[in-house]
Parts: sequence; C-alpha cells; structure tokens
Amino acid sequence: MFWKFVVAAVKFRRRRLLLAFSSMTVAATLATTLFSIYSEIEGRVRGEFRGYGANLVIAPFSGLATVPLSAVAQAEHLGARASPLLLTTAILDEHPVVLAGLDFGRSQPFTTYWRVQGARTVSGDDCLAGTLAADRFNLAIGRAADLERHPCHVTGIVSTGGPEDNQLILPYDRVAARAQVFGVASLIAVRADGGRLAQVRDDLQSRLPGTDVRLIQAVVQTETAVVLKVRAAFFLLMLVILVITTLSVTSNFSELVLERSREIGILKAIGARERRIAALFVSESALLALLATAAGYIIGNFLAAEIARSIFGGVFTLSAAVPVLLFVGAVTLAVAIVATMLAAARIWRIEPALILRGD
Amino acid sequence: MFLRFVVESLRRAPKRKAMTVAAVAMGSAVATAMLGVMLDVGDKVNRELRSVGANLIVTPKTLASPVEIAGVRAVPVGGAAYIPEDQIPKIKSIFWQLNITGFAPSLTSPSDVPVEGVWFHRRYRTPDGREQQTGIRDLSPAWQIEGRWIDDSDGAPVFDCMAGAAAARKLGLIVGSTAHLIGHDFIVAGILHSGGDEDDRVLVRLSVLQDLLHRPGQVESLQVGAITKPEDAFARKDPKRMSNTELERWNCTNYVSSIAHQINEVLPMAVARPVWRIADSEGRVLSRISGLMLLIALAALVSSGITVWSVMATTVLERRGEIAIMQATGAGDWLIASLFGAEVVMEGLAGGIAGALVGVELAAWVGRSVFRAGIGTPPILIPLVIVVAVLVALLGAAQPLQRSLAVPPALVLREGI
Repeated sequence: MFWKFVVAAVKFRRRRLLLAFSSMTVAATLATTLFSIYSEIEGRVRGEFRGYGANLVIAPFSGLATVPLSAVAQAEHLGARASPLLLTTAILDEHPVVLAGLDFGRSQPFTTYWRVQGARTVSGDDCLAGTLAADRFNLAIGRAADLERHPCHVTGIVSTGGPEDNQLILPYDRVAARAQVFGVASLIAVRADGGRLAQVRDDLQSRLPGTDVRLIQAVVQTETAVVLKVRAAFFLLMLVILVITTLSVTSNFSELVLERSREIGILKAIGARERRIAALFVSESALLALLATAAGYIIGNFLAAEIARSIFGGVFTLSAAVPVLLFVGAVTLAVAIVATMLAAARIWRIEPALILRGD
Repeated sequence: MFLRFVVESLRRAPKRKAMTVAAVAMGSAVATAMLGVMLDVGDKVNRELRSVGANLIVTPKTLASPVEIAGVRAVPVGGAAYIPEDQIPKIKSIFWQLNITGFAPSLTSPSDVPVEGVWFHRRYRTPDGREQQTGIRDLSPAWQIEGRWIDDSDGAPVFDCMAGAAAARKLGLIVGSTAHLIGHDFIVAGILHSGGDEDDRVLVRLSVLQDLLHRPGQVESLQVGAITKPEDAFARKDPKRMSNTELERWNCTNYVSSIAHQINEVLPMAVARPVWRIADSEGRVLSRISGLMLLIALAALVSSGITVWSVMATTVLERRGEIAIMQATGAGDWLIASLFGAEVVMEGLAGGIAGALVGVELAAWVGRSVFRAGIGTPPILIPLVIVVAVLVALLGAAQPLQRSLAVPPALVLREGI
C-alpha cells in the first residue's frame, strides 16, 4: 500500500519529478567527476614531475670515487627506477674531455628532457656529443671523435643546459673498458615514487654502506609543495561547487513537498498520520536520490575518465572507485532527505479544512 | 504604471525575491572566484616551480663552461673566459626583466674540494637605478641548511663559508669550525644539503674568491630563474628563420628560449642556454595544472548556471496564478513577459553585483589559504559575470514563462495550480 502510493505519485507528477531528478543527477555527476579527479590528482601531478629526472642520487661516500653497480639492482628491487653514470676523462685533440658512460637501456626515463639532433641512444663505437663539446672540438653528426686508442663515431648532438653539454656520451661498457674499472659507477640516478621516497632512501642507505644516498631537495620539496597546493586548491573549489549544487537541489526537493499542500490536506482529512505522510515524501525523495546517484555515478565516471585523458594524456581508463560511489550516494541521499524533511515540517501545520475549502 | 507593477511585485514577496537574488549572487560569486583563481593559478604554480632551481644558465662564450661533476674540469681556453660581474645587472634591462625572479653569478676554484664563490643575497643596482637583492638563496629555497646562510651584504664578516654536506664530511667540518681553503681560514657558517653538486663543494662570498684567485670582477657562470610560458610548436622555431612579425611575437612571449635570446643581446660576451631538465618539465606540469583548473572552473560555471536557471524556473512556475489573472484582465503576452523580464533583470543585476564582489574576495581567500598570496581578479571579469548572470536568469525564466502563457487562464484559475 505504502509503496503503491510512492510509485503512483512518481507516475502522476512526471514533469516536476523529472526536474528534481535531473538537477540531482547533475549534482551527482559533478560530485563523481570532481571527486574521482581529486582522488587521482596526487598520483597524476607527481607523475608529471618525472620529467625532472632523479629525486635520489647514490653518490660515493667521502674519499671513495665510485659506487658499486649492484646498487642499481637494489634500487630496482625497491620499485624505483635507477640508471648508472660513469665518468672518466680522455684526451681529444690534445685537450681533456669528459666521457660519460650511460646504460641506455635504463637511462631513458632520466633523459626525456634532452634536446637531441640525430640519434638518442648509441651502441658499439658510436657516441653522442654535448653541444658545447661539439662546438669546441668541431664535431658533427657523421664525424669521428678522435679519442686516443678508440675513436668514436658521433651519431647525435645533445643539448641540455646541464653538464652533458660538455661531455661525450658513450655506452657504459665502453667507458668502463677505457677506465679499466668493473662493476662500478660514478653515481647512480634514482627516481622513486614521491610518496614513499624517504623510506626508499633509508632502505638504500642501510643496504649500501660506503655510499651517500642523497635526496635532491629542490625536486623533492617543490614536488611536494606543488602537489599539496594544487590538491588543496582543487579541494576548496570542489567544496564550493558542491555546496552551491546542494543548495539548488535542496530548493528543488522542498518544492516537491510545498506544491502538494492540497494532497496532504486530503490525506490528513481521511485520517493519515503526519509521520506516515512525511515518510511517504521522504521515501519518494530517497528513491529519486538513489536513482540520481546511479545515473550520476555512471555519467560522472565516464566524464572523469575522459577529462583525465584529455588533461594528462594516456589512455581512457575507467577507475569507478567504490569509495567515490559511497561518498556520492551518501551525500545525495542526505541532501534529499534533509531537504524533504525540512519542508515536511509543514505537514504538521497544515489544517485540512482550510486547504480543502480552497483558500 | 509598468514600474509600479514591478516595484509592487518586488515589495509584496520580499522573502522569495531575496532567495532568488541570493541564488543569483551565489552563482555569480562562485563563477567569479573560479575564473579568478583559474586565470591566476598558472602564475602562482610557476612561482612555486621556481624553487626547483634556475631554468637558464649563462656561461662565457670563449670558455666552454666548467665541467661540474666529480671534480673534473675542462681547461679554459683563451684569456677573456669570463663574464664581467658589473655587466650582470644588465639582464634586468631586458623586455622580460620583471619575469626574472632571481640570478646568481658564480666563480669556481678548481681544487680537490671545489670552492665556489657566489652571491647569496646580494644588493645590486639595476640599470635604471633601483636597488635590489638576489642570489643563490633566492634561487634555491629548497636547500636544507644546518647553521645559517652567509650574509654577503657589505660590512658582514668576509671569511664565512658554507660547506656542502659531502664536502663537510670529507674535510671534517661542523658548524662553527674553521676550514682552511685556498690558503686562508674560513669560519663554517652553515652546512647545506641539496642532493646536487653543491653537496660536494664549499660556498664562499664571490668577492672573496675573486680576490684569492686574483680574478677581480670575473664570473664564470650565471644561473637565472625566470617565469616562463610553456613552450609550444611556435616556440621551437628557429628565430633566425622568422619573419619580422613572427620575431616580434616570439620576443614578446616569455618563452625560455626568447628570454635566453634577450640575455644574449645584453651580455654579448656570454651564451645563455635553457636548462632543459627544469624548463621542459615545468612546462608540462604547468599545462596539466592549468587543465585541472580549467576543468573545475567549467564545473563551477555549469553548476552556478544551473542554480540560477532552476531557481528562476521555479519562481515563475509558482506564479502561474498571477500570470493567469493578468491574462484574464486583458494584459497581452508581451506586457506580461516584459513585466517579468524587468523583475528578473533587476534580480539578476542585484545578485550579479553582490556575487561578483563576494567572488573577488572568495578568490583572494583561496589564494591566501593555498598559495599564501592573494589572487588579483582582473576587473574586466566583474561586469562580464554580471551580464552573464542577468542573461542566465532571463533564459531560466523564459521557458516556463512561455509555457505558462500558453495555458488558458481559465484552466489555471479554476484548478488553482
């Protein structure tokens, strides 16, 4: 009987309910979209900081010249990316030049910012020349750099604005062979997930005696500051948006009760109790809210995925997190019920005789 | 008569009118605040990103810059391998001078533990005669310091030094101890942890190192931090192949490469190069964050638009009876529509003005609480938001009004709906 009333009420007032339902759905969609994006901000923005390269460096402890190459495996074991760098000097055209040995299989994530003409990675007897070194020694793509013992073939010119500009960059093995060292690196660049950086650093330091594991403060702190601030700004703005949406939804739902004074009067005249009538309205609103949550959640997730894709690139991935659903559902339900109950207070004040007389 | 109708209507139901105005005000406040924050957040984050370090490096033309890792250095070629220190403030005379947030000249002594002379927070005179202060302290606020920074103003102790953490360990230095460097004793004012090359060095005042190395007024490298616009396809074009108008547009955009180009023009003895590790990444981070803020601004505009719209629609629906009476007493559709329209415009104006003003404050509040700096909303935004608020309110009222006018008045009056 109770539910027959509710369903019938929905059927008879389609237009009015549609308005309430669609405003609620828009609210739920907004909430889902914003909340999904918000929960992903930290990971996504931290991801963008990958471009800054290493946030940890494994350097030799004072007095030593090198670190063991096994540190690379240690870092990778902890879930970080690591790339060794071996430096040595050589004589080119009677002047000293720095040779840098890179493991090109591993160095890729650390060199995304390089501006390169020609090849980006080299193998065998090829090498890359830093732009300043190339100017100084008159090197160009296709020429040979006449290093003592083994000349190398320049296949790319690198410009970074950093120390690489003055170096010749060769595969790690070649530099190690020239320097006659084995299994060591001058330093190892490490990129660990920003969230658990301190722990990775401590683990590495305790496993690698004889090394100095340093946090690159400038990158680490800027990353944290930017992530926190962007998240905070997004959160505040999201809150403001949700508040204003809630208010507009509230007015819609109160309206649902207010416009039906006459029906309430009839119900009271035939002996319905106020609590029962209020329950009728509340269940109607709750039903609407649940439907709107479902619709808003589905639309919102697609919207969030598409927005994330267009802002951060990558592929379209639906995350559809359960906490988001619970949050959105709880909020819409609460708003609908509270709004209806506030308006329902009126039920107690309605005098059936007055309403039915037609005033 | 017309005016009396409108005023009467506003007077008769002040509570309902107040609610409508409040809804419009809230909508426009949110829209103003969002747009204000969105337009300014790029600049705020850009300043935040400057703490990663300099995004431009300037080195003498004749000297390929000193190699910086592991104490290995290339030998300078030729005699004029330096930038004159007194020419450096000229970079504050380029077109984008206000975007240069800081710079730090330095000179390095090639020794086992390199000693670098830098400006810490040094006072200098810009070419147009203003006094300003800048140095490594402004460029690298993220360094962790034990002890204190060196004070390199005139009159402060001269033989202070700051040791990098690794260098301090190597030389056995602690804060307050004495370091023997380049034939002179220095007091260790602080130990710095940067994680970068600085950890292996000892920093001293630039003027001191110049004296000790007998290189007065000479500087070997200059780090510059500048607020730049992320590079796009146009930024990567070669300025030598641009037409005049293109070159002008390129110069008047604060791309990192055009700032480097302008520095080259005022310091002809030097080469300015973007530090791509910094410049590239900050462009990416910035464009993502602008995207996020654009999204939230859109969401705000949609939700405030819907709020205003739905409140207007509800008010009109509520007043169907009134409309029917007017129709029954012979008012034409146009008269009724313009009566309602005038009311809506007045409500929209009141709400829009109040909302825009509140919105400016709201934006400033977000700026203060998140970025510790106010957000200046562009003044043009205020009239824009007010006009849009009035338009949205009118649009929201239009459709239900049209529908009400279409219903025969007799029907409405009998049913009392």
